[in-house]
Amino acid sequence: MHPLRESALIETRRHFFGRAAAGIGTAALSSLLNPNLFAATSDKQSTFGGIAGLPHFAPKAKRVIYLFMSGAPSQLDMWDYKPKMQDWYDKDLPDSIRNGQRITTMTSGQKRFPIAPSTFKFQQHGKHGAWVSELLPHTARVVDDLAVIKTINTEAINHDPAITYIQTGSQLPGRPSNGAWLSYGLGSMNQNLPAFVVLHSTVNGGFGGQALYARLWGSGFLSTRHQGVSLRSNGDPVLYLSNPNGMSAKMRRRMLDELATLNRDRYTEVGDPEIQSRIAQYEMAYRMQTSVPELTDISNESKHTLDMYGPEVKKPGTFAANCLLARRLAERGVRFTQVFIRQWDQHGNLPRDIRRQCGIVDQPCAALLNDLKQRGMLDDTLLIWGGEFGRTIYCQGGLTKANYGRDHHPRCYTKWMAGGGVKPGVVYGETDDFSYNVIENPVHIHDLNATILHCLGINHEQLTFRHQGRDFRLTDVHGKVVKEILT
Amino acid sequence: MLVGICSSAHIGFAAEEKPIDFSRQILPLLSETCFKCHGPDKTNREAGLRLDKQQPALTGLESGKTAVVPGKSAMSELYRRISSADPDLRMPPVDSGKKLTSQEIALLKRWIDEGAQWSGHWAFESARKPGLPQPVPDWKTNNSVDLFIHSRLQKAELKPAAEAQKATLIRRVTLDLTGLPPTIKEVDDFLRDNSPVAYERVVDRLLNSQRYGEQMGRRWLDAARYADTHGLHLDNERSIWPYRDWVIDAFNRNLPFDQFTIEQLAGDLLPNPTLSQRVATGFNRCNVTTSEGGSIDEEYYVRYAVDRVETTSTVWLGLTSGCAVCHDHKYDPITQKEFYQLFSYFFSLTEKAMDGNAILPPPSVKVPTKLQLATQKRLQEQLAAAQKEIETGLTQWKYTDPLATAKPVPLTQNDKVWFDDALPPGAKPAGNGPNPWKFVTAPDHPVFSGKNSTVRTGTGITQHFFTGAKDPLVISENDRLFAYVYLDPKNPPETIQLQFNDGTWEHRAHWGADKAFGAGRNNASNKPIGPLPETGKWVRLEVPAATVGLKAGSKLNGWAFTQFNGTVHWDKAGLVTIASLAPEQQASLAQWEHFRAKVKHPALPGEIQKVLNVAKEKRSKDQSQKLLRYYLQNVHPDARKRFAEPLKNQQAWKKELADIAKAIPSTLIMEERKQPRQAHILERGQYTEKREKVSSGVPDWLGPTLSDAPPNRLGLAQWLVSPTHPLTARVTVNRYWQHYFGTGLVKTTEDFGIQGEQPSHPELLDWLAVDFVESGWDVKRLQKMLVMSATYRQSSRVTTEKLAADSENRLLSWGPRFRLDAEVIRDQALAISGLLVEEIGGKSVRPYQPAGLWKPVGFGGSNTSVFKQDKGAKLYRRSMYTFWKRTSPPPTMTIFDAPDRETCQVRRARTNTPLQALVLMNDVQFVEAARKFAERVMTDGGGDVQQRVTYAFRSILTRQPKPNELRLLSQLFNDYRAEFKATPEAAAKLLAAGESTRNESLDVNELGAWTMVVHLLLNLSETVTKG
Repeated sequence: MHPLRESALIETRRHFFGRAAAGIGTAALSSLLNPNLFAATSDKQSTFGGIAGLPHFAPKAKRVIYLFMSGAPSQLDMWDYKPKMQDWYDKDLPDSIRNGQRITTMTSGQKRFPIAPSTFKFQQHGKHGAWVSELLPHTARVVDDLAVIKTINTEAINHDPAITYIQTGSQLPGRPSNGAWLSYGLGSMNQNLPAFVVLHSTVNGGFGGQALYARLWGSGFLSTRHQGVSLRSNGDPVLYLSNPNGMSAKMRRRMLDELATLNRDRYTEVGDPEIQSRIAQYEMAYRMQTSVPELTDISNESKHTLDMYGPEVKKPGTFAANCLLARRLAERGVRFTQVFIRQWDQHGNLPRDIRRQCGIVDQPCAALLNDLKQRGMLDDTLLIWGGEFGRTIYCQGGLTKANYGRDHHPRCYTKWMAGGGVKPGVVYGETDDFSYNVIENPVHIHDLNATILHCLGINHEQLTFRHQGRDFRLTDVHGKVVKEILT
Repeated sequence: MLVGICSSAHIGFAAEEKPIDFSRQILPLLSETCFKCHGPDKTNREAGLRLDKQQPALTGLESGKTAVVPGKSAMSELYRRISSADPDLRMPPVDSGKKLTSQEIALLKRWIDEGAQWSGHWAFESARKPGLPQPVPDWKTNNSVDLFIHSRLQKAELKPAAEAQKATLIRRVTLDLTGLPPTIKEVDDFLRDNSPVAYERVVDRLLNSQRYGEQMGRRWLDAARYADTHGLHLDNERSIWPYRDWVIDAFNRNLPFDQFTIEQLAGDLLPNPTLSQRVATGFNRCNVTTSEGGSIDEEYYVRYAVDRVETTSTVWLGLTSGCAVCHDHKYDPITQKEFYQLFSYFFSLTEKAMDGNAILPPPSVKVPTKLQLATQKRLQEQLAAAQKEIETGLTQWKYTDPLATAKPVPLTQNDKVWFDDALPPGAKPAGNGPNPWKFVTAPDHPVFSGKNSTVRTGTGITQHFFTGAKDPLVISENDRLFAYVYLDPKNPPETIQLQFNDGTWEHRAHWGADKAFGAGRNNASNKPIGPLPETGKWVRLEVPAATVGLKAGSKLNGWAFTQFNGTVHWDKAGLVTIASLAPEQQASLAQWEHFRAKVKHPALPGEIQKVLNVAKEKRSKDQSQKLLRYYLQNVHPDARKRFAEPLKNQQAWKKELADIAKAIPSTLIMEERKQPRQAHILERGQYTEKREKVSSGVPDWLGPTLSDAPPNRLGLAQWLVSPTHPLTARVTVNRYWQHYFGTGLVKTTEDFGIQGEQPSHPELLDWLAVDFVESGWDVKRLQKMLVMSATYRQSSRVTTEKLAADSENRLLSWGPRFRLDAEVIRDQALAISGLLVEEIGGKSVRPYQPAGLWKPVGFGGSNTSVFKQDKGAKLYRRSMYTFWKRTSPPPTMTIFDAPDRETCQVRRARTNTPLQALVLMNDVQFVEAARKFAERVMTDGGGDVQQRVTYAFRSILTRQPKPNELRLLSQLFNDYRAEFKATPEAAAKLLAAGESTRNESLDVNELGAWTMVVHLLLNLSETVTKG
């Protein structure tokens, strides 16, 4: 490396997403190009950025992969087995169960709330005999690795507020997202990549379904450097990564060298340390031009690995491809990877559409878990699966034994967690016969977020940021860690 | 510098020695450490102790002890507890996460021992204009601002920097006041002007530039959370840009800040508000709204009102009221009740909770442009003149009916058959099925005329038709079209339809259910005529040609027989022609009336048809008059000629007016309900948990309610700008200070509460605030004062010593230097390249953005789920006009820290990241700007390489390049040129970036090399920095 450039990099006080704890040298670069080297030394690997005093205690997980099922999958057809409901077909939901709870205006005008039992078969799986529906054959095989929580609950009854709530701790825009909090609190483990990466998945080759919002990976009142960076499957994986047409890599390198020279001269003259920081940012941008394409290039993945994720893995942008990419990001030290897949909002034709969705996600989810496990990474990677709320036992629209729809249901639904810090083979919480109310061990979404932070060594009450005179947290003024599902 | 937003509230530059100042030294400490449990929030108060007020702190506690005994720290429970060695007794408790340092404990002790003086929080007391500090000998001052800054610098043993070089200064002030760089000519004019008022002339010129309003407005729009979409769920487009243009205009005409406030918060409530004042109320329609299916209205009425209180509170009060949504504020004395009193001001609007995903959820108002207004006026005058001419003509026309008593002329009516047993010559048969025209014969099939008929059996919409007839069927006035049809009684259709082609098929008539082409239209492109004819017999269908939009002179070349389901036979079709009246008959009203009674004409105006339906003798005078006027203008052969021209003109002008009416933009505004909606205190902010009723009111501990103010938003606005209000002026001048110096005098621009930061220069802040009010809230005057100050004009060069003493430059011992805002970075590149289109206002535009950003997040049914890039001039407007989609804002803006516009922002972060480097390196907008600028360098930059480098350098940075810079860039140019020469096509590819054309007369390799050189210049740290 050019000696002057080297010194500029070392002198720099800031880098990609936070304050540098160590100089930036070739180690980080090589770790990116050779993830195994990185993995082998990961215990000693410096982190970059983050705030003093964090983690608060020894973390079980170093990173998170959050598989977000946007639109709200039906717990009743996948996880929360309610055999008694077969006898309740087309009978009305008892008032004693609904108990006056508010429902959305999409069904509040319905004359009846007829019970729609799941059309799918359930079986017990794994050593602890967890019930899983036939929709999830692959996930069922790894159920002994999961902590399935059946009693997640929220107050929000519509998508926008609910997904904003679970991602940011508030139903209204303006707060930092979960990944931004982690980037702020813990910093990055690879300063050539963002600490927080977002992946959007196609369904049958296209996008659609409930909307997503930049705020779901936004930084709110935290510095914008903490916002999630989308890794795209079309065009530049990271925005503006490629040099313009006609500008060779050599031309670019020369331009950057001369740019650094002129910037350095300017620094000598005016003394603003921000100039040095900018010199370093350009070097990092240049390195990203190499490291990002390498990251997204899966040609070196073994056939065994690719087969595990299923046939869609080779199509960029699919959920399968994104799950594999999530593993590659995790290997390179990305703190928080969020994979979104939409189209779970099944108000009608639920049996047909949920079958399609499960067909897309089931195998890659199980593959990702196994892949991490085989590489020894499941122990310090936290894997989370689920949506923003659940769905109602009563039918929305026309009901037959084989076809029905379900409205939004916030009062209980299922998510699972696995990996770093999570007790494997647990089914936690119990709901009533209608999967309408929690009867044992409720887990509010604030509790879930508190638990996620706990796995990363963070006391959720102490990861705060002073804004407008108040110390804000991801969990607002709520949340308690669900110790029962932790190792 | 990066804005490190988190900071300790109680160590600041105000911590000067001498007598303890409760408000600035003790209150922040108590607030930070104690108020959570011993502050204004009564529900969470512990031990009966309240420390934010003197009286409760001096009275006995629940334990019988006394927290504060003035003069006696040893007897004060407060001091005993904060200094206790026993961890169980010591305050603050360990689990609070709070701590007091030994210095802080000592400070509290000293305060008690000095008599425990109490006072309010400084920012809640009205500002008083302090006396001016003494000037420091030999330090150059330009105005009062400098006296305060110098006095403080002197105390810190720092010296101000020398004045910046003129070239630097003009770049700084031009970027600050207009958001654009100066041109070389502007720089040269300034350099040549040696008068002592040279700089002031520049400042005045800039303040009078229309670009000033854009620059000031852009910053205000962050606070107003202005955007072009609704923000929640579908995130559909909304039309509120006329408000954005109002803001620009308000700054340009220097609307005083008090009036600026009143019009935005309550323009609609002013007596006889002007259109402009109503448009101004868009400020509080900029909040995010939803129309998500399933949402409950009541919840969103509450959310919108809460957002408006929080925004208003942040912008004018510099206070965070949000905490009080759920409970009394823990730090500032704002109670939950006071919050809901403010809430009540914004809770009674006529808006609906659901925006309907509409572009203009009511209330809205039409905002014609000046040009539109002028055109409307002109057209209306022309219309009136034409009408006058017609009226004169009618009055002058003495009409007597020559044939009033003659017998009616008999009608001449003939069928003209177009086709019967075979298609007309040249016709190309077509339709559904392999053999669409199926001819069948009697006796097995019904036939009406000739040898055969056609038959069709089908499901759904099915048809046979032809086009391309060689001899077209020419339509005359009054003609009717006919065809014979036979419906199979065993398998009748639901619909039958005739379609006629005169170049298009948009002429249809149907019988029966509306299930064929153009269903639901009910106009000439699919007119319902009546029920299905009787089945099992031949029926003649007839439809006036005018009914299906065929005018006299139309030429038919095609015809279609269409049905929905069933079996249908068709036979013989054509035209019924009716001879028009001869001119002499036409000149008789009576004859024409007879004719019209038999031959109805669909184009006849309804009111005339109505008159005709009344028997002549029964018509009123008015009716007769109406008929005569119509007759003369439209029918009578000679009279008609007389009126043809004014009528034709009128028609054209009316269309023009209608087109303008459609094109007039509209914008969202505020409007009060007639019946106010009752506000309540909401327990924990939950809309379902209504408690005590509250009515609108202001927190009067900040300033008394104005006795003559109305009890609505107007009263609130007037209260905010009352001259003694402690916050509005301070908060406002502080925000302006932040624009120029990077950090406010109070760093927490959004929080002047007890938890906010102490001002670095409290007296300067108060002086500026009072002066601002005294000046009549003159915004331009304030900007001028700030940029005229010696403090602003200092060189921004910094030494290691100064950095060590004051790393954030809060004391301003050197000039402001920080990265430009996102919009300015892009606008600067556009301006330098000559691409910038300097047009003010209008609908937002969609310049370049990488493909596929909206689709992965957008809801399928949203009208912003697909990004369609604009073309031409719209690519090069200033960035403040870029369409702002809240759920996926333009990345070149957000990467450079533009806020998301979902909530009110009064302070931007300034980060420095590799993603920013990538934008400047590779975004097509910046590459295109480089190549267009390179063309200018070649055409305007002089003859040789060094001259051109100098031209490029000065265009961007205003200063002259240094010898080494000149050398390096010249060499770079030569090298790149050589490289492009050696790499055919490379330069052409580079020069294809963006949609603007390339100057083909310039050598491609040379232009490529200049593009690379200026591309480098556009990436310089100095370029994106105000220095």
